[in-house]
Amino acid sequence: MFAKFEQLVLKGIQNPMQRKLILLGTLLAFILSVLMIAPTKMVLAKMLPGKNNDTFTIYVKLATGSSIEQTQQVTQCISQYVIQEKEATDTEVFLGMGAPLDFAGLIKGSHFKNSENVAEIVVNLTKKHDREEPSYMMVQRMRPVIQSNCEKLYPNTEISFVEPPAGPPTMAAIVAEIYGNDSQGIRELAHKVENVFKSTEGLVDISIMQDQIYESFEVIVNSTKIAKSGVDIKQLNNILYLAFEGMQIAVKNSEQYNDQIPIFLSLSRKSKEFSKKDLLSIKSKLASLKLMNSMGLMIPVTELVEIKTKKSNPMILSKNLHKMTNVMAETDMVSQVYPLMDARNKILDTFQNEYDIKKIGLFNLELTNKADGKIYKLTWDGEMEVTLDTFVELGAAFIAALVLIYLLMVIYYKSYVLSGIILLGSFLSIIGVIVGHWIWDLITPDTFFLTATSLIGFIALIGISSRNSLLLIDFTKSLMHEKGMHKAEAIAYSSATRAKPIFLTAVAIMLASLLLANDAVFGGLGVSLIFGTIAAVIASLIVVPVLLYMTDLETQFHFHERKAVSIEDPL
Amino acid sequence: MQHHKEYIPKDYAGKLAKTFIRNPLTMILGIFLVAIGYISLEVMPREENPQMVVSGSTVIVALPGATAKEIEKIIVKPLERKLKEVKGVEHIYGMAMDNVGIVNAAFFIGEAKEDSNLKIYDKIMQNTNMFPQGTMNPIIKPLDIDVDIPVLSVAFYSNNKEMKKTELYDRVKEIQHHINGLDNVAVTELKGGSHHQFNIEVDINKLSGYNLSLGQIKSSVEALAYNVPAIKNRTAESTIAMLGIKNAIDNADDIGNIIVAQYMGSPIYLNQVATVTSSYDIQNFQRVTISTKEENGVFSPFQEQVTLTVSKLQGTNAVIIADEVKNELEKYKEFLSKNGINYVITRNDGERANEAVNELVFHLLLSIVIIAILLIFVLGWRESLIVTFTVPAILAITLFVAYLTGQTINRITLFAFLLSLGLLVDAAIIVIENIHRHYHSVESLHETPDELMIKATDEIGPPTNIATLAIIMTMVPMAFVGQMMGQFMKPIPANVPVALIASLFVAYIFTPYLAVRILKRPGHKKGEH
Repeated sequence: MFAKFEQLVLKGIQNPMQRKLILLGTLLAFILSVLMIAPTKMVLAKMLPGKNNDTFTIYVKLATGSSIEQTQQVTQCISQYVIQEKEATDTEVFLGMGAPLDFAGLIKGSHFKNSENVAEIVVNLTKKHDREEPSYMMVQRMRPVIQSNCEKLYPNTEISFVEPPAGPPTMAAIVAEIYGNDSQGIRELAHKVENVFKSTEGLVDISIMQDQIYESFEVIVNSTKIAKSGVDIKQLNNILYLAFEGMQIAVKNSEQYNDQIPIFLSLSRKSKEFSKKDLLSIKSKLASLKLMNSMGLMIPVTELVEIKTKKSNPMILSKNLHKMTNVMAETDMVSQVYPLMDARNKILDTFQNEYDIKKIGLFNLELTNKADGKIYKLTWDGEMEVTLDTFVELGAAFIAALVLIYLLMVIYYKSYVLSGIILLGSFLSIIGVIVGHWIWDLITPDTFFLTATSLIGFIALIGISSRNSLLLIDFTKSLMHEKGMHKAEAIAYSSATRAKPIFLTAVAIMLASLLLANDAVFGGLGVSLIFGTIAAVIASLIVVPVLLYMTDLETQFHFHERKAVSIEDPL
Repeated sequence: MQHHKEYIPKDYAGKLAKTFIRNPLTMILGIFLVAIGYISLEVMPREENPQMVVSGSTVIVALPGATAKEIEKIIVKPLERKLKEVKGVEHIYGMAMDNVGIVNAAFFIGEAKEDSNLKIYDKIMQNTNMFPQGTMNPIIKPLDIDVDIPVLSVAFYSNNKEMKKTELYDRVKEIQHHINGLDNVAVTELKGGSHHQFNIEVDINKLSGYNLSLGQIKSSVEALAYNVPAIKNRTAESTIAMLGIKNAIDNADDIGNIIVAQYMGSPIYLNQVATVTSSYDIQNFQRVTISTKEENGVFSPFQEQVTLTVSKLQGTNAVIIADEVKNELEKYKEFLSKNGINYVITRNDGERANEAVNELVFHLLLSIVIIAILLIFVLGWRESLIVTFTVPAILAITLFVAYLTGQTINRITLFAFLLSLGLLVDAAIIVIENIHRHYHSVESLHETPDELMIKATDEIGPPTNIATLAIIMTMVPMAFVGQMMGQFMKPIPANVPVALIASLFVAYIFTPYLAVRILKRPGHKKGEH
C-alpha cells in the first residue's frame, strides 16, 4: 500500500500538469471554505453554544412600583406551567429578592434585588443523563408559552429565562448601550431600539434596564404653618413614616431566640390602607392622623402639608461617567452575531428620518437627533462584545503562534523557504476546520457553531500539522544527505515511509477528539481537531511534497555538493 | 555477534534512552510517577468551573430624602470620579435612585482580589469628606466569587400546618450555626423565613377617639423597653451583692399593658388602641416558597421555606464540603422530622463538579482504550501496550504539576487533558514506530536490541523535539488572551505544554525501556544471522 503511494507521489510531483492541478485544487478548496463563513453563512460563528444543565432560573420583573401581591400573581401563573413539566423535580419561588447567587446572577445583579416588583423562580430538573430533552430545548419550548400567558397579567412585565452559561457569564447575549446627555432622549431612543429588537428574529427576553415612570404623590410641608403650630418637621416626617411604613422602635433581648426581638410599631394594615390610589383618599386618610404639638394640642397632618401628584423619579444609570441605558436581549438558540447585524441594519434604515447616523468603530453608531441636535452613542456590549474581543485576541494568539513556529523552523532549518512550506502546509488545515463544522452542522439536529473552542483547536492544529511536515522534510533531508538519493525519490520515499506514523498520530488525535465533539462547549474543539487533522494529513502528504519538489532542496538543505544519483537506481 | 563501534547518541532523546534502558530504577520511577499522579487526582480540589480572578467593589451611599437627580449630582458623580483614579479599574457603573446612590467599580479581569478591594476601601476612606451632610456611612461591598456564590443550597419546609411562622426560621438558624462550623465553609446564609417580632398595630380611629398621637405611643414603649447592666453594690460585711434589673417587657401582654396616657383621670392601656401580638415581621415583603414533586409525580402545593446557602473558601474541594454538609444534615434529620420539618437539597455544585469530573475521566479512559485498540491493529499488541502505558505516566506528571501550581480539577482542566491526549501519544507512537521499523529492517540485523532502541530513538529525536516545541509554541500565546474567556481557558495553555514536555520525556525514557523487554524480534530473520 505504501509502495503504491510512493509511486503515486513520485509520478505526481514530477508531472507539471498534476502539480498545477494539486496546487490549484488546494487554492480552490481554501477559497471555498473561507466563503462558507463570510458571505454564505453556511457555518455560523458564536462564542459558546448552550450547555445542558440540571437547573435554570426564571427572572420576573414587573413595572417599577408594582406590589408584591401583583408579583406573586405573575409567579403563580408561571409556576402553574412549571409544575406541569415532567422533568422538573422541585421549584422555588423567591419573591422580592434574588435566588441564591450563581454565576449568571452575579453579573446580572441578582444579589441586589430587593423590591416588591421582582421575583426569581428556580427550576431544578432531573439529572441530564436521565433526561432526553436538553435544558436549553426545554427553555426554548417553555419560553413562548409562559411569556405569552403571564406577561399580559400586568403591563410592562418582563419574564426572562436564565441558564447557567457554558463559559464566562455576561449581562445578556446582546446589550445595546445608549449614551447621551439627555435622560429623556435616551429613554426615547432606548424604546425605539427595544422595538427594533422585538421585531428582530431570534431575539427574546428583551428588556430595558430602566425604571418605569409611574404616578406617585408628594407631601409638601408648609413651613409657615409648621412654625405657627409648634411642631417640628422632623416630628412630622417621623410620624408619617411610623404610621404607614412602621418602625422598629425598641428591641427585647431574648435567651430563647437567636436574635433580638424587635418591637415594631405601625398603624394596623386595615386602618392605614388608602381606599383608592388618588389624591382625595390620601388626603382623607392623612386628615385622621394627628400630631401633638408642644402645647399638647392635637393637629391633623393635613393642616400642615399639601399633597400633590407627581411622576416618580426613575433610576439614573451611568457607565464610565457617562449617562447610559442598556437595552438587553437574549438569543433563542442562535448565534448573537447575526441578529445583531439584522438589528443594526434595521436601526440604520428606520432611524434615518429622525437621526443623522454615523458609523463609528466596527459596529457602533453615533446618532444625532435632527430636531434638537442632541448626540447619542449606541455601543454594543454583552456576550457580543466578549465574543468579538475573544475572537480578536484568539486571532492575535494564532498569528503569534504562526510567527513563533516560523521562527522556530528558521532556526532549525536555517531556511526561509522550507519554513514557509511548513507554515503553508499547516495553515491549510483551516479548510478541514471550516468544512468539518459545516458537515457536523448537517449531521447534528441543533445548529453547530464555530466557537472560541474551535479556534483553540485550530491553533493547536497548526502545531500538529507542522509536526507532520517537519518529520517529512527531516527524513527527506537525511535520505538525500546520507543515502545520496535524488530529490524526487527522496521526497516520494519519505512521504511513503512517514505516511504510517502520520496516519497513526492523526487517527489517535481524531479518536481522542471524537468524544469531545459531542460536548456542548468543546464540540468545536473536537470537530476542529477531527476534520482539521484530515486536512493536515492531506496537506502534508500531497501538497507539501509538491511544494518541496518545486524548491531547490539542495540549496535549502545547505549541501555543499550535489549528490545526484540516477532515478532508476535508488540504492 | 560481530564487534562494531558502539552507537553514540547525538540527541537528548538517545541519551535519555541510553541512561534509562538498563537502569533498575526506571521501573520504580514509572510506578512512582503513576502513584503521584493518582494521589494528585484524588487530593486536588474539584470544581465545575475554573477559578476566575474577578475583582470589583460596590459602594452604597444613602442620603435619606434626596431625589435621584440630587443623588446623581452630589453622590454618584463625585464618587465615580474618585473611583476612576484607582488603577486597574476597567468599568465604573453608577446608579442614582431616590435616597441612595450605588457605584460599582469593576476591575480588569485578573487583577488581584485583595489588592483591588484594598484600593477601593482606601480611596473611599481617604475621601469621606466628599460626601454631603446627612449621608450615612458608605457601605463598601467587595465582590468575592468564591464566597458570594454558594456551592450548596438546602430548602427547609414544614409539613406541620400548626407550626408558627417563625419557628421554621429559628430551627434552621440553629442548624446554620453547626454547618458554619464545618471545615472550609466560608459563609452560610438564610434566605426567606419570618423573624420573631412584637407587633403593635395601632388603629387610627381609636387613636383619634382617645385623642392620642403615634408619637406618644412610641415614647411610652421606648421608655419601658430599656435595659441597664446589673448593679453592683457592697454590703456592710464587704461582700458584693448584685442587683439585676429585669427588662419590663417579657411578652406581648406586657407591651399591651403599657399605659400610654391618662384620659379623664383613668389610664389608657396600649391594647385599648392597638393590637399587640408576638408574631413575625409583617413589614417584610420578601417570601420564599417551594414546591417539590412527590412520589406520585404531582407537585405539592407551594409552602413557605427557608433556604440555607453554603459557600466554600477559595481553592477548597466543593465535593468534600457538599458531602460533609449532607452528613451533618443527616444528623439533624431526626430533630427536624420531630418538628415536622423536611428538607431538600436544591443546589449541589459539589455533586455537579464530581459528575463532570468523573464523566471526563471516563472519556479520558475510553479514548485511551480506543487508541490502544487502533494501535493493536496497526503495530501489534506489544507495541500498543507500550504506548498505552505511557499515557497514564504522562497524565500523572501533568496532574502532579497542576497540583503543585495550585490548580483545581474542573471541566476545563480535563478538556485540556483530552486535548493533549491526542497530542501526547504522538511522541510515543513516533518512537515506537521507528523502533518497529528498525526491528523489522534487514539493515539493522547485526545490532543488539539495546543499541537499536537507542539508535531508533535518537534518530527521530531532533524532529520530534522541534515538532513538540512547535505545538508548545502555539499554546504559549493563548496564555496571553485576556478577558473572562482568557481566564476561563487558562487551564489549556497551562497544562497542554506540560503534558507535551512530559510526553517527550516519557517517550524517550520508557518507550525504549519497555520495547527492549516486551517487543520480540521477528523470528525468521534470526536464522540469517
